[in-house]
Amino acid sequence: MEMLGLYPVWFEPTLGSGWIIGIIATIHVLFSHTSVGAALVFAYLAVVAYRQDRPELLDYIRRYGLFLLVFSYVLGSITGPGIWFSTTVGSPRGISALIHSFVWKWATEWVFFVIEVIGVYMIVYLVNKVDQKTHLRISIIFGLASYTTMLIIIGILSFMLVPGKEAWYTEGGYLNGFYGANTFAQLAMRTAFMFTMTAVVGGIVASSIKDSAFRKEMVRRLAVLGLVATAAGLGLFQWYLTTIPETAELVMQNRLPEYFTPALIGVMGGIFAYFLSTLIAPNWLKPAVASVMTVLILIFGLWPEEVARESIRKPYVAGGYVYSNQVIGRDVPGLGIKSEVETIEDHGFMNSLVFLPENLREITPENKLEVGHALALNTCSNCHSLTDTGIRPLTNYFGADSSESDIASYLRAALSTGTTLYMPQIPLQQDEATALAAYIRNLKQQTETVAQQNADPVTLTQASN
Amino acid sequence: MDVQALYALRDVAGVPSHPVLFLILGVVTFALHLFAVHVMLGGATLTIRGAFSRDQNWRRLANAMLSTAKVAVSVAVVLGVAPLLFVQVIYDPFWYTSNVLSAWWVIGFILILCVAYLLVYVFYGKNEDFTKAKTRCPGSMILSLALFILVGLIMHALTNQMLSPDEWMSWYAPEGKIDASGTQLHSINWARFAFMILLAAPVTGAWLYGYRHYISVRADSESEYLNFLSDLASKMMLVGGIATLAVGAVWMATLPENQASFASNPLMILTALILLALALLPKVLGAKINQGITGYLVVLAALVGVLVVGVDREVIRWFALVVDAGYNPMDYPINMDWYSTILFFVTFAVIGGLACGYLLTVAWQAGHTEGVYTPSAAVTRMGNWTIYAIAIWIVHFFALGFWVWMQ
Repeated sequence: MEMLGLYPVWFEPTLGSGWIIGIIATIHVLFSHTSVGAALVFAYLAVVAYRQDRPELLDYIRRYGLFLLVFSYVLGSITGPGIWFSTTVGSPRGISALIHSFVWKWATEWVFFVIEVIGVYMIVYLVNKVDQKTHLRISIIFGLASYTTMLIIIGILSFMLVPGKEAWYTEGGYLNGFYGANTFAQLAMRTAFMFTMTAVVGGIVASSIKDSAFRKEMVRRLAVLGLVATAAGLGLFQWYLTTIPETAELVMQNRLPEYFTPALIGVMGGIFAYFLSTLIAPNWLKPAVASVMTVLILIFGLWPEEVARESIRKPYVAGGYVYSNQVIGRDVPGLGIKSEVETIEDHGFMNSLVFLPENLREITPENKLEVGHALALNTCSNCHSLTDTGIRPLTNYFGADSSESDIASYLRAALSTGTTLYMPQIPLQQDEATALAAYIRNLKQQTETVAQQNADPVTLTQASN
Repeated sequence: MDVQALYALRDVAGVPSHPVLFLILGVVTFALHLFAVHVMLGGATLTIRGAFSRDQNWRRLANAMLSTAKVAVSVAVVLGVAPLLFVQVIYDPFWYTSNVLSAWWVIGFILILCVAYLLVYVFYGKNEDFTKAKTRCPGSMILSLALFILVGLIMHALTNQMLSPDEWMSWYAPEGKIDASGTQLHSINWARFAFMILLAAPVTGAWLYGYRHYISVRADSESEYLNFLSDLASKMMLVGGIATLAVGAVWMATLPENQASFASNPLMILTALILLALALLPKVLGAKINQGITGYLVVLAALVGVLVVGVDREVIRWFALVVDAGYNPMDYPINMDWYSTILFFVTFAVIGGLACGYLLTVAWQAGHTEGVYTPSAAVTRMGNWTIYAIAIWIVHFFALGFWVWMQ
């Protein structure tokens, strides 16, 4: 038997594994970007504190650092590996592809991560316990190590969308995969927005400073940082857009919700207004206001960004060769990787899947729905929820009057040939398409029945009868 | 599961260096992670014990152990990232399958760990000094410890499930029906888990000897407190060590069939002897254990003990996966990438060595100094070299990157 190395599937019916990955990733981006930006701001403030003999700046570093210990280094350091864990269960071959190409780069990042964690404790707990020059030196080491972790991860994030150089497909090699226009554009853009987040989160600590003059100074410094960073980020975002592959651009134009662009403009406008207000009237800023702003950025800024980043990779999930449904979708001769589409075309899914009960390998009228369920889990559920909630519910894509044969025809025509831009090629055999269609039709009927029951609630009189 | 299926699950990209490198790094970094976990568990337990005591020595110890546990969680998390990375490289078919089959627990692991860690900070925030005030909110620390043990149990189950590929299909599709919910933990070896947790007792005992020596050179150290520490450390190593060995014997007696050969392996006997020696160390050394740097050497001995346990864990995995299931991680196809391989080792040795050397020396010396600590010229030089080394690394990153980009 020709085997297809697909793992078992985890299906989460309420949110969907994709959204769970997205939620954890979004939270982690907030923590990690804030901490990296803050580390660089700390290094800058430590220099100023040392040159101008301003110990109150060191106190601010200590207070913000203590806050970050919980905010970023408790929650951030756990949600970082948390992304690994969630992608492991949601997209095992996707994360595996990244791990196997970039294991040494991640290991290198780990070295800097260790330095960063030691550093944050030291800059917090050694203020006034070591001489100022030593504290400055530690702050610089902390800042540089922290930023280096960002340098490394950005190359891997870029690879998820597209390998740095097209030559990676034919020649392989870490450098070809890691470095490219998108790597640097994304690095520049994220660096800018990272300072935006640092300025917002830093406001929580700055607005609680007791000394009025110093509080105003710090709030204003952060406002200037936020304004400059956000303006730069917007410009760099335009550069970033020029570096994404053509397919991603098309997906952006056609698949992102209509409200995406106006919402983005609204979010940026809101951020500008916020920083302008705190620049003009720093006393207006209170810890609660800055906290609410942090949550708003998380929900209205980072979440859509992460969703868009996930969407524009379609139909791939990593490196432009691992489909979102975990099948290897193209040849990568540079690493000796062969597309699995041909294997599926020749043998079918049911004869190739490793994790499939033996009683489902042969499709019969009795097991057709179960086979369809297994196929839906393996080929659809990564991007389409099999319930009526969660990520892009599968039943939403078929009309109420679609018959089983209509659905089967669509599956064979559009998916098996790979002619839908953002969908993987799913070369179903005729009997597999029929089984999947039967399952989708059945699912659709169940959803409609539930919707009907909800629309026609049982009245008190009916119930008493 | 058919060995051909296991090989089919392998990543198609191969690995960028010889698999043995990942194996060795995985074992070493796991041992360091486990050591930090033990100090964290032991520190948290002693904190709770001290926080409930009226004895001033206990309360003083609770102060120190709460700080220790707080930092140890960070260290355990950061060190845990490395073995988590390496296990995915060479044992990917087993690790990923095990995780997917218990997916909700994997997600739960992250959430529970976050809550457990935050609870440490809640307890820390509520109790500035146990020697000066009553204990507040002890439930937070107790709950935290319970949750840490729970995340340990989840990680144990994920590791254990890896070792039973023959069971996977029955877990994924019991009676031929696919269950993709990921809500079950399928395989727990309670004796193995208890052994790993109990090992925290002798390890923390050894840690206390190190702590005792560290504070003994300070002017504010009191002999009564030092003697209290010494007695407690001795008991923890002896009683905890023997209890760990007893549970270890149960583990060996109840090893599943595919791992059972390890029970008669010479390495098992060697491990038992090393752990026994560790438990008896305070009795053998007597008063000498409190002299010179012996306290630190005891910590080192505990680290060696944990390292041996880490090796055992790998050998057991080898029995289950290589000998029994027929899957050999050493024949993973290699797509050698010299640049990233060398970059890691150079970064690890040069920047990691310099930075950790500098930062830990400063932290260590500052803790020993009353008032403001100013490092010696040699230590300061190490700090400056660290900055230069990281700066050069960043310059190299951009220079090489731009060159590749422009090609």
